[in-house]
Amino acid sequence: MNDQMSIELVFSSKGRVKILKILVDIGELNISEIARRARLNYTTTNQHLQVLESSGIVRHKNFGRIRIFRFNEENSRAKRIKDLMNEWDK
Amino acid sequence: MYAYSSVFKDESKLDINYVPPRLPHRDAQLKLLNQFFRFTVDTPGKMTQRALVVGKVGAGKTVLTQLFGQSISREAERRGVNLHYVHVNCRECKGSLFMVIQRVVLKFHPTYPKRGYSAEELLQALMQILDEQKAYLILTLDELDALVQNEGSDSLYSLTRVQEDRQITAQRLSIIGIVRDTALLNTLDASTKSTLQRNLIQLEEYSQPQLRDILDDRMANAFRENTVPSQSIDLIAELAAMEGGDARYAIELLWRAGKYADTQEAREVQPEHVRKAASSVYPTIRKDTIPTLNLHQKLFLLGIARRFKQSDMAHLSMGEAEDAYAVVCEEYNEEKRGHTQLWKYVQELSIMDIVRAESSGTGQRGKTTLISLPKVSAAELEKELLKTLGT
Repeated sequence: MNDQMSIELVFSSKGRVKILKILVDIGELNISEIARRARLNYTTTNQHLQVLESSGIVRHKNFGRIRIFRFNEENSRAKRIKDLMNEWDK
Repeated sequence: MYAYSSVFKDESKLDINYVPPRLPHRDAQLKLLNQFFRFTVDTPGKMTQRALVVGKVGAGKTVLTQLFGQSISREAERRGVNLHYVHVNCRECKGSLFMVIQRVVLKFHPTYPKRGYSAEELLQALMQILDEQKAYLILTLDELDALVQNEGSDSLYSLTRVQEDRQITAQRLSIIGIVRDTALLNTLDASTKSTLQRNLIQLEEYSQPQLRDILDDRMANAFRENTVPSQSIDLIAELAAMEGGDARYAIELLWRAGKYADTQEAREVQPEHVRKAASSVYPTIRKDTIPTLNLHQKLFLLGIARRFKQSDMAHLSMGEAEDAYAVVCEEYNEEKRGHTQLWKYVQELSIMDIVRAESSGTGQRGKTTLISLPKVSAAELEKELLKTLGT
């Protein structure tokens, strides 16, 4: 179904982990805002999100020109990553 | 020696944002609203409705719609209908459609991006959100005058017509407009006018006995027993009736009179306290708008207020106002804003109904904006501004 991404690839990037943490904290967010909070530039953020989306961990919704990203609740891995991150910061 | 205890039991019942569980003398109008919007819980999605509530200051427009909103939301919840009632004050949104819709969208999506798209796009996004969540919305546009004044009838037109391109899907957006005066309708284009006019709810100003009933209700909730003698209530009702049946004014008087009674450690709110309160409350300026202004708007207004206090002119020209503002800026050690920015402030303040701005027209050399303060005394405005400026 999805391109299987190896786990080391998903978590090997500091940027990606940051983005995931932000999405766990805030829920839904547009790219610029994710970029701002993660202190990454827009293009990098966009690329990370593409990667995460293609592996099924996040998904996005379109509102006209605006894309809003969030965790893909239907993906069991995504759910577990979310749980892990919540657990971690307790 | 005895410890003084306040005449109040619960001051919050006199707050202007408090929505009482019942509204004396507004039953018929509430019933009418319920009839108009009955379908939103009976057959949601089959149709939409627009209504217009018209009434003077303090006639109970806002509280009426809010009470209706509470009751219809409860009813919807009971029946498992995903109906939302959202109340937006257009004046607080500076008469901008964008800000109005943004407030609504943020209710559904608290992290929705704040900028980067047009009002139209935002409206489409709102419809999409409603579709996705299978939600229905009753949107109340309070002080609709501000929106129309600022953006003309186009915004309202797109709001009332956004449903029409989407006949296939469920109908989700109903609108209640609140205005002070039906004269506003004449400035709208014919089609918007006709869609709004169909359901008109007129709120007559409260009579003196009606104001009495309202005051009795509020008093019972806000004051301890036997602290407000009936002659005080009578006096308040009489004063408020003279102000054009303004219930908000009546309630504010009641609150202030209570405050004066407290400062004198009196056991009762005497008519004398009411008189004192009356001389300190200016009915038409909305005290709650002043703190929402930004620093330079306040400084500018302060300049105008002081200039008016010193002279008995009816108007200030833009140039005079700018000079007065420059003096205030010096006093507060602030760099003064440029002419264009100030001119914008004047427009905004006039939309908020704090000052009146009119063009001088021909007759004097050149053309300038004439500024006047029709509704408040300059001294009172100055006092209020100094309070929020923290001096």
